[in-house]
Order: sequence, then structure tokens, then C-alpha cells
Amino acid sequence: MERNIITSPQTGDSCIHVKHSSGLDIYISEMKGFSTVEALFGTKYGSINTMFRMREDSEYTCVPEGIAHFLEHKLFENEDCDVFELYAKTGASANAFTSFDKTCYLFSCSKNYKESLKILLDFVQKPYFTKESVDKEQGIIGQEIKMTNDNPEWRVFFNMLRCLYHNHPVKIDIAGTVESIAEIDADLLYKCYNTFYNLNNMVLAIAGNISADEVLAICDECLKPCEDKGLESVFPDEPAEIVTAECRETQPVGTPIFNIAYKCVPCSGQERLKKGVCAMVAVEMFSDVSTDLYQRLLKQQLINSSFGTEVFTGDGYFTVIFSGESSSPEKVRDEIKAEVARVCESGLSEKDFQRIKKSAYGNLIRELNNVEAVANLFINAHMDGVGPFDTIDALSKLTSEECLEFIKNELTDDKLVMSVVEGTV
Amino acid sequence: MKYNRTELGGNIGFSTVIDSKFKTNSISIRFITELAKGTAADNTIGMGVLTTSTGTYKTLAALSEKLSELYGASLSSSATKRGDIQILGVNASWISNKYAFDGEDVTGEMLDMVCGALFAPNAENGEFDKDSFDITKKDLLDKIESEINNKRGYALAKAAEIAFRGEPAENSCYDTKESAEKVTSASAYKAYRNLLETARVEVFYVAPEENNAVMERIKDAFSKISRTSKDYSFENPSKAKDEVERASEELDVNQCKMVMAFKTDSTDLYAVKLMSIIYGGTPVSKLFTNVREKLSLCYYCACRTIASKSAMFVDSGVEKANIEKAENEILFQLDEIRNGNFTDEEVESALLSIDNSLSGVGDTTGSYISWYFERLCDGEVITPQQQYERFLAVTRERIIEAAKSVKLDSVYLMLNKEEAK
Repeated sequence: MERNIITSPQTGDSCIHVKHSSGLDIYISEMKGFSTVEALFGTKYGSINTMFRMREDSEYTCVPEGIAHFLEHKLFENEDCDVFELYAKTGASANAFTSFDKTCYLFSCSKNYKESLKILLDFVQKPYFTKESVDKEQGIIGQEIKMTNDNPEWRVFFNMLRCLYHNHPVKIDIAGTVESIAEIDADLLYKCYNTFYNLNNMVLAIAGNISADEVLAICDECLKPCEDKGLESVFPDEPAEIVTAECRETQPVGTPIFNIAYKCVPCSGQERLKKGVCAMVAVEMFSDVSTDLYQRLLKQQLINSSFGTEVFTGDGYFTVIFSGESSSPEKVRDEIKAEVARVCESGLSEKDFQRIKKSAYGNLIRELNNVEAVANLFINAHMDGVGPFDTIDALSKLTSEECLEFIKNELTDDKLVMSVVEGTV
Repeated sequence: MKYNRTELGGNIGFSTVIDSKFKTNSISIRFITELAKGTAADNTIGMGVLTTSTGTYKTLAALSEKLSELYGASLSSSATKRGDIQILGVNASWISNKYAFDGEDVTGEMLDMVCGALFAPNAENGEFDKDSFDITKKDLLDKIESEINNKRGYALAKAAEIAFRGEPAENSCYDTKESAEKVTSASAYKAYRNLLETARVEVFYVAPEENNAVMERIKDAFSKISRTSKDYSFENPSKAKDEVERASEELDVNQCKMVMAFKTDSTDLYAVKLMSIIYGGTPVSKLFTNVREKLSLCYYCACRTIASKSAMFVDSGVEKANIEKAENEILFQLDEIRNGNFTDEEVESALLSIDNSLSGVGDTTGSYISWYFERLCDGEVITPQQQYERFLAVTRERIIEAAKSVKLDSVYLMLNKEEAK
């Protein structure tokens, strides 16, 4: 196996990348002076992967909403014990999460990392589902769905996605619904597991107080070679148009909360990285505290310090989001529209652009200061099909002309939606 | 790593942690005062205005522009509570000079910025700049109104109100909406000056390399202020009520919440903490494995201690139909510990979990600041290793005694409107 050293020309930070003979991609960062270890073992399988097939299959398989998340829950149960009982013997703090496009199993620790890594690699490769345990999990996840429905930030976000997307499964709740998870059984879980938990579709990222030699020796011992079966995920056709411009819901909240978002053209790989960095700087040019728009909104008491932005992208979706709390979200939306129109007309200030870029660079440097952030950076970059330090590189090459081009092409009024959750108390 | 604390006089401490692995510098200046309704909002706004504009950067826009130029450096204020104490802070973080590609002295500029914010605010004639004050006040009012958004946090805050009624700890660190509405620019300025002149101050500077100028600047600035500071007690045990108090409220929610507040008269803090971890501090604890996993009574069920108040809270997300069963099971699991029904393995797991989190202290600049601040509050600066050894010394008998010392004080329920009785 070849060890590739990947180094950031901007910061000098580096990591080791290995394409393991089992099919797994492994990223390792030995961080001198740190005492903790963060490890993530992830599969490119999230809530959006509801339709797929292998090379040998003639037809696509469709699965119920929320099954990736359900599978994540169930994998924590071994045939003979609960995985947490194993971690309890090493002291590691273990967890897992399912997002739109990935499922990751992780632990953080500062002692016994080798034992914890063995547990991680072992249990994720050893599924065990029975009818009884699946039935029981439906109750637990039903509770989780209820709990997240009480979270207004969650509601405002998914309502926004449903305003934007007609067909793309990004609009469905990650945990599914009580009805959709009722369709899940052990056979279906095994089908999804065998499809997506193939090491060729997975990645291990580990950073902190570790030795690359030790990590790779454990990988050699624990990883079971997998044949690449040519997995293909497909997504329904998604029109460029939005579904509806506005959605409102009532919940017990204080000041109304809002998500205002533009539906942009999706892309993948390096193109997505470059466009994502461009979008990140572009929206900061509107939402940074020092900008005219922010100051205008603040003066009119239309926003508070919770106002912020996010660039949200993945396979088949790309959107930029302005979020916050406001007594009048529609006025915030109108001000954003007016500011975008003004920028399209008169252009961006080069001085402001350079300043925002510098600030973004500082934030990326800060990330490299943190064991957990470094491991997450590796896993996210790999899942997105780019190198671990490509974001810093793309940022250093970004020009204000590219930013303006993005604003003109993507932030158009017909692609703008607003979701609001307002109080009942 | 090198830790050093210097008494600057006048009840001001300056701690430095030098650790070469970091790429960033952090400073936190903390003002320690009593938590009280009426003054908590003034203190929070008084401290908040300092990082909204300064005497040099007279608007939020100008201040923010400067911070962006310094590679996205951060300057913020904070208000937290620790039992009966309110802690106000001005905090800043920035990248080390060696990562500045234009060779700027980021550290020097940020030191000017922090000192400017603290000692030369944007104020005149005993009042803060109106715009900066208005922004900060609205922000606090919105924060208070939004506490309901996080249902789990809201339930814990309501439980604290009931458990600590009549004590400073019943209050939110942000105060009430009514108190915040009464704050004026002059009253906030007065609160800021009062903190500067009377609060105990602890300063923390964490950086990859030594820089004596930082302490000298802070020391010099404080030397120009006439201070008469007093100390506040960090440990203020709260007594359990004679009869368990029960309170509930109805909200338009899907999942009900239950928070059970316990009090202890034990002074064996290490035993109480270790017992609470065995009880509900990990995914192999008694509460997680029994109440959630085996009996599926709650989606979450966890235990936390508030050492400064000798209190322990168990909070859970539960269906209305299961509330009584869940409460009984939570109490039964405590009885199990009281009766010695726990294995050496359970103790070992709790110790391993403590060891892992203590060994991670120092991996972020923030974790150093939290560790040393907490130890100063405890009145004894020890290392994470020394603390771990104290946990290791706790015997089975002490764990049992700790569990026996715990008494249920109150129960708060957040009920679903449709399902409420």
C-alpha cells in the first residue's frame, strides 16, 4: 500500500492518505503535542440515498425514508452485546450521526485509542439485525422524530428545503417519519448495509495523538477486503424552479425565526468545492457584520446577532441560506433582494472582498488547531471527492470577479424562498 | 505546556498557559460577581456593549471590519452563571503572527483592541454610545425570549427556578425580560464601572509563545482604576425541601420533558460526582441502559451535578403515558446504588470516562481556560492527573454513602397541551 503525504502549500500542514488493499480510503494526521484522538469511520450513505443499484442489478431499489439513520442506530447492537459496553472498557466517548449524504461512526478519547479503533472497525463491519430489535428501535426513533419536531430550527430548515425542492430527497427528514420507518424490516436493513457499507464506499479519518504505523497495522488486522460492486445512487429529476416562495409554521418560539434561501445549480467534485468557496465568500459579502446590508437591517431592528449564512451543498442540491430571528422576516427578505440587485448593478468592492477573504482564511487556520475539526475536515473532503486542504487552496485563488459572477447568475429573485416559524406564545 | 498565575493585586489574577502546539492565541478576562435579579441584565448589557463598539472603533461596522482584517479574529462578551455567581467576560481569539501572510502584528493589534474595549469604551458622560447600547439591549431581550426555542434547556432552567427558589441560582444569567427592559444606557455603564471597580477578576491568556507585554498591559490598565473588590463564595449548598415540590406547564410540544432535581448534604464531592456518572453520566450508566434502552421509557435520560449548589439534576424526554413509570424507574435505579447493587465494572467504566475527559484538557485553548478557571473557583489549582487520582481513591462505601445522601427536591414537567390533565 502506498502512503501519500498530502501537504497544504498555504499552511504547511500535512496528512497521510492510504488506499487500503481492502478498498478503504484512510486519512491519518499525527498531531504532535495533542493528547486526544478523534476517529470517524463513515460511509457515503445518507438520507438522500433512497434509490440505488449495483453494477449487476438490472433494476433500481427504492427504500423507505429514514432507513440510513435507522441502520446507524441498529449497528450499535452486536449479536452478543451493545457496542457502548465495549467502549466502556476503553473509556472512549463514542457516537454516530447520519446526515443527508453520509453516516459516520466516531469516537474521541485520550487513552487506549488502539483498542477503541479495533472496536470501531469491528462493529461497523459486523451487522446484526433481528425482527425483535428492529421493532423496538421503531419506538425509540419515533421518540427522536417527535423530539426533533419540537426543535424550531430543524422545522424552519426542512420547511425551507421543501419550498426549494420538488423531488430531490434532500427535502425529507433525515430520520424519516413514524409511517416510513414502520416499513423497515431486518431484510431491508441487510440489503442497504450490504450495498453501502462496502469499504470501497467508505472512509476512515483519524487525527490526534496517534502513530500512523499503529493505525495501519490495526487496519490490516481488522478490515475485511471488499469487492467494488459499482454502486450507483440515482436521484429523481429536479426542476430548476422552486416549489413555493414561502412557508410559515407556528411553534412555541420567542422572536420568529427564518431561513431565506436561494436555489442554485448543483454540481460535484472540484467544481462544487470551488463554487462552494465562492458562494461562502459571496454571502459573507452580504451578511458580515461590517457590510451595509447587515448594518441597515440592524438599524431597523430587523435582525440580531443570530443572523448568519450557510452554503448547503451535496449530490444534486446547492443552496445558500440566510438565517436568523426577526419580528419581520419578509422585510429582511426584501432588503436582501434589494442589496443583491444593487451589487449586480454596481459590483463588489475589491477592498471588502479581500478583507472577507482574509477572515475566511483565518477561520480555516483555526480549524487546523483542533483534533476533532481536522478529522471531520478529512472525512468531509473525501466524501465530496476533493483533497483535504483543497478548500484553503481554492480560497487563495478566488477572485472578486468570480464572486460577482456567482451572485449575478445564482442569486435571482425567482429562486428565492422564505421559511418562517413564529410563536404561539 | 507551562502554566503560571500571578496576583496583580486588588483581587486580580493573571494566568498564562504557554503551549507551542497552538496556531492561535486566546484571552479571556472574567469578572466574578453575585448573580441577582435586577443587576444581572445591567451587567450582561454593560459587558456586551464593550464588544459592540470601542472608543477607537466607534461603530459595530468599524469594529467588525477591523476584526476581519485581522484574519477573522474574534472579540465577544459572555455572561454565564455558576451556582449563585454571575461571570461576565470579554473574550478574544486570533491567529498567531506567523500565519499572517502580510507580516502583520496581529497579536499587538488584538491586545490594543481588547484593552481598548475594556478600558476605553465608546462612552461619554456616564453613558454608552446610544446605537451600541440599543443593539446590545435588543440582543439580550431576543436571547431571553428565545430561551423557549431549546426545549431541553428551557426545562432545565425552569427546574433550577423551582429547585433554587429564594437563592441567587434561581435566576437566569441573562435575568428576566422585565429587568432587561428597564436597563438604560446609564445603568449599564454604571454596572460596567462597578464590575471594573469591585468584581474579582481572573484573566487567562493561552498562546503558543510567551509574551510578557500582555500581562503588563492589563496590569497597567487596572492600576489606573481605584478598586475595592470583594470575594464571593463559589460554594453555596442548597438544602432539599421538606416535601417534594411538583410543578408542570403545558406547551404546544410533541415530547414531554421531566427534570428531577435532587440535593445532597454530602461534602464528599468526588464521591457524589463519581456516583452521578455511574447513575446517569455515560451510555453504560444505570439510567441510560435501564430507563432508555431496556424499558424504552425515555428518549434521553441523563444526570448532571451542580457541585456549587450540592445539587444533581436528572433530565429526560418522555411520553406523557410513561411519566410516572419513568420517575419510579429513575428513583429505583438510585436505590440500586444506595443498596450497593452496582458492579466493579460499572465503577471502572465511570473512572475510564473521567480519565478520558481529564486527559483531553489542553487540546483546545478553551479547555485550558475552563480547567484553570474551575480550579480557581474550587480554591485549589491541581492538575487533571491529580484530580483523577482523587476519583480513583473513592471507595464503594463512599459511592453508596453519596447515593444515600441524595434527596429528591422537586420535579418539573413540560406537558403536551393535548395530553395535559
